[in-house]
Order: sequence, then C-alpha cells, then structure tokens
Amino acid sequence: MTEAARATRGQQPGIEIVEPGLQATVQEHPGRTGMLGQGFFPSGAMDSLAMRAANILAGNAQNAAGIEVTLGNFAMRVVHRDSVVAVCGADAEVTVDGEPLPTWQSRRMPAGSELRIAISTGPGFRLYVAVGGGIDVPPVFGSRATYTMGALGGYEGRPLAKGDRLALGPDGGGPSPRRWRPDVRPDYAREWEIEAMRGPQAAPDFLTDGDMETFFTRAWAVDRNSDRTGVRLASQRFEFARSSGGVAGGHPSNILDNPYPVGGVNINGDMPVILGPDGPTAGGFIVAATIVQAGLWKLGQLRPIGDRVRFREVSAEEAVELDAQLDALLSENSLEDA
Amino acid sequence: MSIGATAIIERHEAERGHPAVTYRHAGDRAVLVEFGEMEFDLTLNFFVLAFDTALRDHPVDGLVETAPGFRSMLATYDPRETSAHDLVDDIARVQAALPEERDIEIPSRLIRLPIAFDDSQTRAAVERYVHTIRADAPNCDGNNNIDYIVRYNGFADREAFFDAVLATEHWTGFIGFFPGLPFMFPLDPRYVPIVPKYNPTRTWTPEGAVALGGPCQAIYPVESAGGYQLYGRSLPVYDLQGRNAAFRDNPLLLRPGDRVRFHRVEEQELLALFDDVRADRYVYEFDDQPLDVGAYRESLERHRDEAEQWRRSRDEAAARTPLP
Repeated sequence: MTEAARATRGQQPGIEIVEPGLQATVQEHPGRTGMLGQGFFPSGAMDSLAMRAANILAGNAQNAAGIEVTLGNFAMRVVHRDSVVAVCGADAEVTVDGEPLPTWQSRRMPAGSELRIAISTGPGFRLYVAVGGGIDVPPVFGSRATYTMGALGGYEGRPLAKGDRLALGPDGGGPSPRRWRPDVRPDYAREWEIEAMRGPQAAPDFLTDGDMETFFTRAWAVDRNSDRTGVRLASQRFEFARSSGGVAGGHPSNILDNPYPVGGVNINGDMPVILGPDGPTAGGFIVAATIVQAGLWKLGQLRPIGDRVRFREVSAEEAVELDAQLDALLSENSLEDA
Repeated sequence: MSIGATAIIERHEAERGHPAVTYRHAGDRAVLVEFGEMEFDLTLNFFVLAFDTALRDHPVDGLVETAPGFRSMLATYDPRETSAHDLVDDIARVQAALPEERDIEIPSRLIRLPIAFDDSQTRAAVERYVHTIRADAPNCDGNNNIDYIVRYNGFADREAFFDAVLATEHWTGFIGFFPGLPFMFPLDPRYVPIVPKYNPTRTWTPEGAVALGGPCQAIYPVESAGGYQLYGRSLPVYDLQGRNAAFRDNPLLLRPGDRVRFHRVEEQELLALFDDVRADRYVYEFDDQPLDVGAYRESLERHRDEAEQWRRSRDEAAARTPLP
C-alpha cells in the first residue's frame, strides 16, 4: 500500500501530539533561505546544533524536520509504525511509556507508545525531537520550518496543538540505541559566552570605543520577554558616537531603515535585542554586533529567567574556523553505542 | 581587536557618477553595503535597486542572496566559497559596470490603491495601545495618531495632511520587516511628512493599516506589532492563500520599484472592496512605467524652493512637539 493510500485510510505512520507544552513547532535547519529581500527571516530550529544532532541520532539527514519544544511539558505518541526517536537540547526528564530515555540518546519506540518530556529545570531552554523519517509537512517557499507570524510552514503555519497528527517520511531505519559522546556534547550553562563580530554599526561612527568595550565585557541578563523573534537583554545607556539619529529619528540608535542580519544585536533605544530566527528582516535601529554562525545555536538555549550572556569578539577568520569545527562535530563520529 | 577596531571592510569615495560606498561586516556570512551618507535621498535607493538587479544578472561567486534597504544592501555569502574581502572585490566590479547614477532607468509599476483615512480599525488599535500599553503617549493624544502627525509637521489641519498623502506617488524602496511590507517614500519633494515612531511599540495593528514612521510610509501586510503612526487603511498587500488573482503567482502584491498612488474612499466602501479582494471580484491595476532617474532629479530641482520652505516650517513644528 502506498503512503498516500494509507493516509486516506488513516493508517499513515506519524505522530500525534498529546501535550504541546508552552510552544512546540515543526522546524528544520537551515530554514527558509533566499527570501530576506521579501521580508522573510529564515525561521528554522533556534538551536540548530541540537536539531541536527537529534537527526543524526535518529538516522535522518541533518536537514530533516523535527519538533522544537520550548521548556518541556510535551508529550506525543507514535502511530502505525515503530520509530526511532532522539531528544537533544536542554536538560529534562524524558520517558517513553514511563521508561527513562536520556537526552542525546536514541531508541526505538513501538507503535502506540508515548514520549513525554517533563519541564526542564535547565540549563538550556529548548529541546528537539527527531523521529526516524522526519516530519513530513509540505515545504513552503523551500522550507518546512514554521513561521508563526507569517502563518506559514510547519503544520498549518501554527504552533502544534493537542490532537494534531503529523505524517512521517520514509524511515531510513537507523540503528539504535546510540548516544552522543559525552566528551563532544555542547556545554550548557546559566552564564553563556557567545561569539560575535562587531558591526555593521559599531565604533567609531555609531558607538564609542567605550560602548564597544562595555558591549564585549558586560554580563547581559536575558529579559523574560524573549522568544523566537528576538532575545531581549538588560537595558544599557550607551554613550553613542552621534548626538541624534538625524533624519532617521531623534534617538542616536536610529538610522534610515536597513536590512538586518540574523543574530544581529539590535540597539532599540536603550534595549539590546538579539534578532532570532523569526525576527524582522529590516528596521531603523543600529546593529552593534552580529553573532557568528557557529554561536547562533546558543540563542535557542538562553533561559529568559536568570541566564546571562557575555559576547566574545572573534574575527571573520576565526568564525569560519569555528563553523568548520561545528560541522565536523555534527557527524556519525560523535556517536557511540548506548 | 579592541580600541580602534572597526566593522568597516572598505570605503570607496564617490566617483564616475556613483555614490560613495561603505562595506561593513555583518557577521561571518553577510556584508552590509551602504551608499552615500545618511540623508533622505531617494536617488541612493534607485542606485541600490539598480545594483541589486545587476547582481542578479551577473552572479558573483559565493553570493547567496541580497536584501535591499533604503540606501544599503545586505549581501549574504557562503564563507566556504568566498571571503568578505573577495566578495567586496567581486561586487565592486559589478557596481563599476553600472551606468552613471543619473542615467539609470528603473523598471517600475504604478498601482492605484484606495485609502480610508481615520478608519475605525486603526482607531481601535490606538485605543488598545492607550489602554493596555501606554496611557500618556503624546502621539496618541485623543486616541489617534493623526493629530500628532499634523502637529509634528505643522499642517494646518487633518485635511492638509490627507491632501499631502494623496498628492504624491509613493516609491517602494524595499520590502521587509514582515513578509510583503512595503517601505514607501514620497516621490514629490513637496510632500515629505516625517514623524517619530512609537515608544514602546504597539502589539496589534490591523491588516492593511497605512502608517508613517520617519519619512517612510507602510502598509501592514498582516495583523502584527508595529511602531509607525497609524492614519488609515488600504487593501491587502499579502495573501498566502491566493484568494485574489493578484496573489496567485506570488503572495506579495508589491515589489521594490513599485509606485503607489492612493485615492480616497469612505470606510464603508473600503470594507466592501476588502470583501471584493477576498472574493476575487476586485482587480488590482498595475501600469508599467519605468522611472527615469534623470527626470526625477529635474523635478527635485524644479520644486526645490517650495520643498525647502515646507521643510523649514515642518522642522520648526517638529521642534515644538514632544517626542513619544
């Protein structure tokens, strides 16, 4: 019987959401690229490292779609097929039909069994569930990633709700159980160091050397009003190199509206906001620094309840090196039998 | 990498009829290319759009995508295929082959859209802001933003502001913030109202709301947050479901280089047109009319004194008006 025929009979292998928790969405990496000029940030897994790692554990391609779970309190059931599953990300108690399943480890789930993620007490804030075959939702503008503000991608363009049934792609049947080697697991903390490059609007033309010094030394508290559009940081009175924004507006953080890079640290008046995967593509505020590709995954794990961030300045060359190291880490070599 | 460090990769002075250009690091995967100085000069945007087209016609190694802004462009690259410095060299070569700025002709479409000023939905958005976010915002005095726009720009009354909106075509400089949101700027230099943005921002704006922030006009494509001062409502500019023929090929109605001219309707009529759009009874009308940069420059020259006089009275009014 074909997948389509099974679907019409309600027999299609898939998962059913039992409890979505705070917010769960279908995501993938690298998301919706090539659409910046039309106003689409890429969306996609906020912690792409954990999403890719979970896929490797589940025997999927790294760009397969999975589920991004915020904080925990999530449950799902696999239906009509035994499936390999892996959960990577924040520390949390995970069980399959009551049996503990360590995070960063895969196992086979019998059809009908239930995966449950308790509320994470941290460190970390998001968890990624990969299921063998990947979540099979139609790509929109080239990606399966959910973009809730644009109501597109993922499952009906919205966060998952109790009772949603998601189809799965053909299962590659990856071996299990396996786990991510403890010596190459990313370090989670309550005090994060994130690699960034200064600019595009930094010293000397927009901020002072003193401002940049403050930026790269201060431990920034993460504000509770943070989400996939942006991570807000504690406010700061910068000195600014200009006395006003001129034609762009009264405040010296204002500029004529310009495109923003993903991971840019936007200075909104006195509030720095790190632009997340669902953020605005353009606006009229300076971007003092930009998180480099290899550091972006940490955005997904910042807990908006007490975590602090320091930015470490890196050069373009160092950023490329870090990116290569991250890519090398994301391979079967990082796995061992559990 | 500390005192004296800079994000600027290179800067080229203005030459051969091209504006000055500054290349800035925007992380390890993008370069921000900025033209000219920070001033409200639409010819910089024309140059950005011509450059953007040239980069599409002459692909550059490692360039993944470009996103235009008012006087800048974000060029995203793949660091495995090129470096920021090589990318700058390559795109500078494409730029050098562009004609002189005043000889550029930009493909453009003129579209007429209805607008209902001071409609009930945008008023409701302001009221909601006053009740739930900030009660004492000077830009929301009287539970609307229009009186603030009038005051900030020294218009005689509301009608004088509405007339200014209706008198000029609005140039779509780029699309951004949210999917399909046009950042539009008045082409006639005699009608350039400006206004500061909300502080803090609003959490709800109705679809189709028309608003002003700085010198920029926007039509909100979806219900969303926002920071521009609201003054009216027009038709949908984004429809993922393609309920109207205008959205079948692309859910975004407008693209950079489009010109919007508003005509006034009453709110009842606008709401009926909204329904017509959804039911595919309404036909959005586009006229292909390329923009001649030389002719635009001549019109600036022709209206210079009048524009300058108006700008002075606007700036005096702005200086007397409290900021949000």
